[in-house]
Amino acid sequence: MVEYIIRRTLQMIVVFFIFLVSSYLLFNAIPGNAFSNLLLNPNLPPDAYQKVLETYGLDKPLGERVQLYVVNFFKGDFGYSYKYFPKTPIELIAERLPRTLMLFSVVNIVAFYTGFFIGKILAWRRGSKSETWITITSVFSYTVFYPWFALMMLWFFGYKMGWFPIGKFLYPEKWYDAPFDSDVIFSMMIKFTLVVSLLQFFAYTATRGIEALSSRRNIRFASLIAIFIGSYFYWNTGEALARKPYAADIAYHMILPVMVVTIVAFAGTALLTRTTMMEVLKEDYILTARAKGISQKRIRDRHAARTALLPVVTSFIFTIVTIIDGSVLTEQIFSWPGMGQLLLQAVLEEDIPVAMAAFSFVGVFALIAHLIADISYSYLDPRIRVKSQG
Amino acid sequence: MEIDNAKEKDLQKKLRRESFKRNWKLFSQSKLGMIGLGIVSLFLILALLQPFLFLTGIWSESIYHPVVGYDQIIEEKLVVECPKEYPTPKYETSFDCPAEGEVQKKMLYLAQGVEVGDMYDVYLQPAPPSSKHILGTDSLGRDVFSQIMEGSQVAFVLGLLSATLGVGISTILGTIAAFFGGRIDAYLMRQSDLVLMLPTLPLLFIISAFAELKIWHLAVVLGVLGGLGGSVITIKSQALQVKVKPFVDSARITGGSQRKIMFSHVLPNVAPLALLFMVFSVTGAIASESVLSFLGLLNIDMSWGLMIYLSQTDGFIFSGLEYWWLILPAGLSVTFLAGGFYLVGRGLDDVFNPRLRKR
Amino acid sequence: MSKDILVVDNLNMHYETLEGKVMAVNNVTFSVKEGESFGLVGESGCGKSSVASTLLQLQSDNAVISSGSIKLDEKELVGMTESELRKVRWNDISIVFQGAMNAWNPVIKIGEQIREAIREHYPSNSKKENTEKISELFKIVGLEDSIMDRYPHELSGGMKQRAVIALALSCDPKIVIADEPTTALDVVIQDQILKEIKKVQELLGLSLIYISHDIAVIAEMTDNMAVMYAGSIVEKGPTASIFSNPRHAYTRLLLESTPSVVGEKKKLRALDGEPPSLINGLDACAFSPRCPDPSDDCKNGNLEMKLIEIEDGHWADQCCVNCG
Repeated sequence: MVEYIIRRTLQMIVVFFIFLVSSYLLFNAIPGNAFSNLLLNPNLPPDAYQKVLETYGLDKPLGERVQLYVVNFFKGDFGYSYKYFPKTPIELIAERLPRTLMLFSVVNIVAFYTGFFIGKILAWRRGSKSETWITITSVFSYTVFYPWFALMMLWFFGYKMGWFPIGKFLYPEKWYDAPFDSDVIFSMMIKFTLVVSLLQFFAYTATRGIEALSSRRNIRFASLIAIFIGSYFYWNTGEALARKPYAADIAYHMILPVMVVTIVAFAGTALLTRTTMMEVLKEDYILTARAKGISQKRIRDRHAARTALLPVVTSFIFTIVTIIDGSVLTEQIFSWPGMGQLLLQAVLEEDIPVAMAAFSFVGVFALIAHLIADISYSYLDPRIRVKSQG
Repeated sequence: MEIDNAKEKDLQKKLRRESFKRNWKLFSQSKLGMIGLGIVSLFLILALLQPFLFLTGIWSESIYHPVVGYDQIIEEKLVVECPKEYPTPKYETSFDCPAEGEVQKKMLYLAQGVEVGDMYDVYLQPAPPSSKHILGTDSLGRDVFSQIMEGSQVAFVLGLLSATLGVGISTILGTIAAFFGGRIDAYLMRQSDLVLMLPTLPLLFIISAFAELKIWHLAVVLGVLGGLGGSVITIKSQALQVKVKPFVDSARITGGSQRKIMFSHVLPNVAPLALLFMVFSVTGAIASESVLSFLGLLNIDMSWGLMIYLSQTDGFIFSGLEYWWLILPAGLSVTFLAGGFYLVGRGLDDVFNPRLRKR
Repeated sequence: MSKDILVVDNLNMHYETLEGKVMAVNNVTFSVKEGESFGLVGESGCGKSSVASTLLQLQSDNAVISSGSIKLDEKELVGMTESELRKVRWNDISIVFQGAMNAWNPVIKIGEQIREAIREHYPSNSKKENTEKISELFKIVGLEDSIMDRYPHELSGGMKQRAVIALALSCDPKIVIADEPTTALDVVIQDQILKEIKKVQELLGLSLIYISHDIAVIAEMTDNMAVMYAGSIVEKGPTASIFSNPRHAYTRLLLESTPSVVGEKKKLRALDGEPPSLINGLDACAFSPRCPDPSDDCKNGNLEMKLIEIEDGHWADQCCVNCG
């Protein structure tokens, strides 16, 4: 096993190296460079363009540039952004990433829960009329032409009804004399979401051992209330109280994008849950559970849904990997200045250091996730362990 | 020997026909699959109908051509002068003037001889649906219904082409990886990792920046990207399951060559899954094409994505449902055709995945 | 004489399929007494497992019971609502399914899965009481208490099957159905499990319905038995009487096709042909096509399938009696 991990890690480093080089070559293949537009400016002296290229090292031959970039990359030096000069790519990512994570972690949590719940019900009611119609609706909400749908929703809720703001991620006038940066609020909100979901998870696992069903339910309910009260106090005391209006402003701007992306994202989870649940429902142990006289609801929630959860969670992990990739379009449409926009702008403007850093970030993210998925997949699902033994 | 061969072929044909009949029966039991098939066939008919209409001369190309066609829709309007103060008995607010069938004199800066009370011909572009253009015309006077048909052709060509290419690549690579294992497997898997690492949309942006993407190019790019990516891994795991089946062992014991075993035993058993993949990847290809043309990155004459791109750049998308024929048909077409293929895939899943069979 | 605990009367059940109705259970009538062990034997696909699932009303969605009754302890099971059935299942009648590998939910611990059943039927029990009960059951079937905290995949096939037996006994049922409980186990373990079931049955005074394709096992395990062919019972009666004096041609062939370790060496006979398709039912004698020497009435389909009493408590189908 150790040998396997070592070999995989070595392979991963090679893959990453190839990834870096080929990405650089890809960016380079785009005609022109980040400073081509300087040539259009007649007021600049003719040698200015050449000087700029020299400053950024763009006058060197391609091979040398690639070599330099890769060596510096592994040294931990990512260079400077061409467009936002004094800033480094790392600074830019650190600024943009929380915004994307905030938006999409909320989307994913909501989409996962609603999708899993609806998929569960769908599989359970297989063959009924309502099942057919809800499934078809989910399929179309899954395959909906996303940018079109987003624009329609933006038009309806933002423009026609005027309920939600269009094309901003906060009201600048509100933040004009704010004592802190929006990033502070963002990271605070992420921490809050994380703590709440961890507490919820902890409450759930801690109560698993309780024998009587009714008291288990009551304790879970009480813990939920406690978390609610706790968060109320958190937002109304000390430091958080001062930040509350700003957090509320961001939350308000988040509602529409979250809603739109959730409608598309939940359907995928619902359809996957439906399929896996239906496979699980054919298993013999479901028949055993029925023979035992267990109630239908308990068979559904405890026996079927819990087993079906595993592949759904696995696909959920992979969804998290594609967050940044998936955020490109959403952030473009909702003018949400996150990672997706940064990535897109960097690519379009050939801000190679930033684009490379963003690409590498996405790549490393994906590589590590794949490795973890590969190694841990057999540990997630006992049935696979049985198969691999036999 | 020859007679035996002919007999065997007949028998095989019969068996194939029977299994097809049975599979069709199973498929037709799946309500979702049948709905999907209905949707896909509807769009297929749309795609085929357009060339038919042009060839038979029912539609004249100069009017109905989706790209270069043009039709003047003329509406007579009454020239009026809008009042300065509201409300008046006729108009409640300034937004109500000019009312329907009227045109404000101030707007007619070119026509100087026109007086209030005259009738004036207005070219309607975009024109609302009429009996001549059942989905109206766009801002350049082109028939929207014809564009939808053209878009349907594009979607089918692109979707099927890239899906076939992609699934072909991933099936062959996946089977090879499963069959030979070792270094070949490791290489192919890392290659999939590499492709999966690249963020799709930005990558397509880059490609569209240095290469003029036409439909064929895009089909190849999407096919290759899809074929090298995650589907290789899934096909491989399926092929691995087939590889350990007793009939593969017995083929090996009876002295079948590696290649023969791979092509005649393993590949056919991976094929159902591959077909499923293909149907689902059509959905993905249609979506990708639409997104790219929606962003104006494709060098393409007409497609559903492009129709929405045009209605967006012309500002109609924020005019709400007033110009609904420019916004709804194209968007719904993408959604429904992609969904139709997805539903067909679900129906096929019922056929090839016997564990899910109801009966 | 002890009273009948389970009475199955004229039970008919079919599956609705794409190809048509599959008549899986036809006019099946039998009864099981308290403390008795009853065997059901027949080749694969003869409908014995369909009988088992119908007894618990666990048949799949496309199964239709067209007529007949199942009385368990005077309670009619056919037509009971799901919530009424839930009270009966496991409490009155439990089942050991074929293939213990798949009877356990892979992501829940063994002990928890047994506890869950007890909890459903004795909600007022404390956790300690339940654990004691399981530990007691484990002692009976010969398992360690530590098994309770294991996941199914951590157990061997034999251990899983023992645990399944413990699970079947967990709510003190009046009758247990064992549906081929030893398939997929190796021969040595099979023997152990059979002994275990026999021991438990005698110890607790249970009624047992033992279903198998192996007539030798039935001989070892049961007091009374029935032979099923193509969805119908073709012969039933005391096990000893059937073995000493088999009357139906199918039973004879079944006996002759099984090797015997003790007694004289006999030539084994193989059964030619395949069981008939049950689609859309059979009109006359089901076995005649395979009967080595059918009577004319039987061949021409003049005789209906009907059980006649040959000697006290020993019944056989009137066609194919005494032929072959």
